[in-house]
Amino acid sequence: MKQIDILIIDDEIKFADMLSRRLSLRDITCRACYDGLSGIQWVKENSGAATLILLDLKLPDMYGTQVLAHIKELDPAVPVYIITGHGTREDEKECLAQGAAEFIHKPVSIEKITTLLTHVRGEVQ
Amino acid sequence: MIRTPQMLQKQEWLAFLFHRHNAHLASFHTFSNYPRIWIISIIILAVTSLSPLVMATLINNRLIHKSVDSELVLQTDRVTSNAKRSVRFFLEERLNALRFVVNELPYYSLIDNEHLTKILINLKLGFGGFTDLSIIDSDGSQVAYAGPFNLEGKNYKTQSWFKQSMEKDNFISEVFTGYRDVPHIIIAVRSQNAYGRYYLLRATLDTQRLMDTVLSYKSNFHTDIFLINHTGILQTPSTNYGKIFTPTQIDIPAFSDTTQVITPENNKDKSYVVGYSYIATEAVTTPFILMVHKKKSEVMGTWLNLGKTFNWIIGFCCLVMMVIITLVSTYMVNQLFLADQSKAETMLKMEQSQQLACIGQLSAGIAHEINNPLALINETTGYLKDLYHYKDTPRDDKEIIELLNDILEAVSRCGTITSQLLGFVRQFDVQISSVNVEQLITGILSFHKKETEYKGIHVTTAIAPDVPDIKTDRGKLQQILLNLINNAFQAIEVNGCLDITVSHLPPNTISIEIKDTGCGISEENLQRIHEPFFSTKKERKGTGLGLSITYGLVKKLQGSIRVESSEGVGTIFTVTLPVKLQKEDEA
Repeated sequence: MKQIDILIIDDEIKFADMLSRRLSLRDITCRACYDGLSGIQWVKENSGAATLILLDLKLPDMYGTQVLAHIKELDPAVPVYIITGHGTREDEKECLAQGAAEFIHKPVSIEKITTLLTHVRGEVQ
Repeated sequence: MIRTPQMLQKQEWLAFLFHRHNAHLASFHTFSNYPRIWIISIIILAVTSLSPLVMATLINNRLIHKSVDSELVLQTDRVTSNAKRSVRFFLEERLNALRFVVNELPYYSLIDNEHLTKILINLKLGFGGFTDLSIIDSDGSQVAYAGPFNLEGKNYKTQSWFKQSMEKDNFISEVFTGYRDVPHIIIAVRSQNAYGRYYLLRATLDTQRLMDTVLSYKSNFHTDIFLINHTGILQTPSTNYGKIFTPTQIDIPAFSDTTQVITPENNKDKSYVVGYSYIATEAVTTPFILMVHKKKSEVMGTWLNLGKTFNWIIGFCCLVMMVIITLVSTYMVNQLFLADQSKAETMLKMEQSQQLACIGQLSAGIAHEINNPLALINETTGYLKDLYHYKDTPRDDKEIIELLNDILEAVSRCGTITSQLLGFVRQFDVQISSVNVEQLITGILSFHKKETEYKGIHVTTAIAPDVPDIKTDRGKLQQILLNLINNAFQAIEVNGCLDITVSHLPPNTISIEIKDTGCGISEENLQRIHEPFFSTKKERKGTGLGLSITYGLVKKLQGSIRVESSEGVGTIFTVTLPVKLQKEDEA
């Protein structure tokens, strides 16, 4: 089991890569998955390994809500933050109801993510 | 002008005739020409309700006329027959009396004036109507005479009645004046004396008696009964034709020894019937034709008056019915118009709110499309900043340029989206412009790019090469296509197909076919899809306005919309539009 700080599940490859590169510069270990299935697969194989998960709502193979449901089954403890370019109020309600930690609209500042991580770590510790 | 509900409640009388034309509202009206509906409804109601009445009245009048006619014919026939019998009897009786005298008495006693006077007195006493008697020998000389006139010694050889009477045993003359200058009739019988020579016993009859006999059958003012001779000269006075001896110009009726009743063709309105009979005694024919003219008004008087009253009542009823029909039609069409008007106004409001909803929908799509590249720009510029901040060594030029290119690319993505967005800005301006349908469709589809990818929808657009740019309202066409394409996307499950075909139907129409392999629409729902607020979408997902608004918009663009669908197979929407939108709807 490989311990990481943040798992990014987003089909915007460049965005995901750029974000993970930026986080790496800040000594935050990242792992990026570009579709729902590989994200779920990773969580399945590394349950409890991620400190927090950033999940996009619209993925090519399935909806973010479906991915969220699977993650919550496999690893109920990990906080999942939804980051989306466009989410309706209904989507937000649905995600929060399914146990998402927060619903964040893109673009999102790096500081916000690092703060979130610190916060989660603080809680974990 | 949108009216408030309070204004709508005040239902204006004849609103449909005097309403101001509003092109926006008119496109939502169910009917376009209310005055025409009004007139047609009045005509149909009037024809259906009044025609039985008019028919019944006509039939009734006809029946009355028929029965009156037959009654009149019967009456005339009776009067004519009776009068004929009386005249005939009058003449026959006198002729027979003369015959009796010549048979009974020898010639020598007849030529005795005194004896002849006695016979005359007896005849006057027994039969009446005799004026004088005379014996005329075969030379035409008057041999004996009894009577008030001094006619002794007269010679009648040249007179036509003498010639005629010498040829036959019995003779009846027409009415004439002769030597004495007084109208009279001659009847004569021929006999032979002891020497075998012919002689005549001639009597002159008083025409007054004959007239009285004839006139006794004149029941009232409407009956004209008179005698004419075979040339049409009056033999007794007539109410219509005047005094005795007046030529009548009557068409001499065809000979008949029985009574005939005819309706002469030349009489105005066939207002009288004519009964006639040629008068002949058993022994000899006479020059008389008995004519009876009977005016219909006699018999019809009562009927005609009743008929007139009846016709007035019917006429009045028709008038009242026409007024009622007009008022009812006006009220109904007015109500229809007001209902339609209020529906149209609601539809217009709905269209406007739908337009707003559409903006919302577009904004959401645009936000999604823009936020992703913005996030990328954010991360990339952030990374650039991080590179300078976290690493001291000079940056690899290549990487920086790559990062800057990424930013430019993301900015360009945003630019594309905003330019498409501009296409929607003019949505509410109603104006005709040249529209390239292909570009329009491509623009709309680009908003569904993500959905297409996620759902794996196979989208094809086939634009026929001869499709021209059309002159229409861009915004409205955009909304129509957006609505239909949105519906198609919502209907299609994963891995479906959406085919958009545009073809040119020369000379002046284009057809846009949007075919999806979605869930389809049931036959029952198919009839209702254009109804406002009809939706099959579960909960808050649809307003049920999309298609009804689309229908209104297509109508506004002078086009038509057709839908074919089978459940589980898919739906085809076909919008047909004119290549050039006519000016009238421009306002």
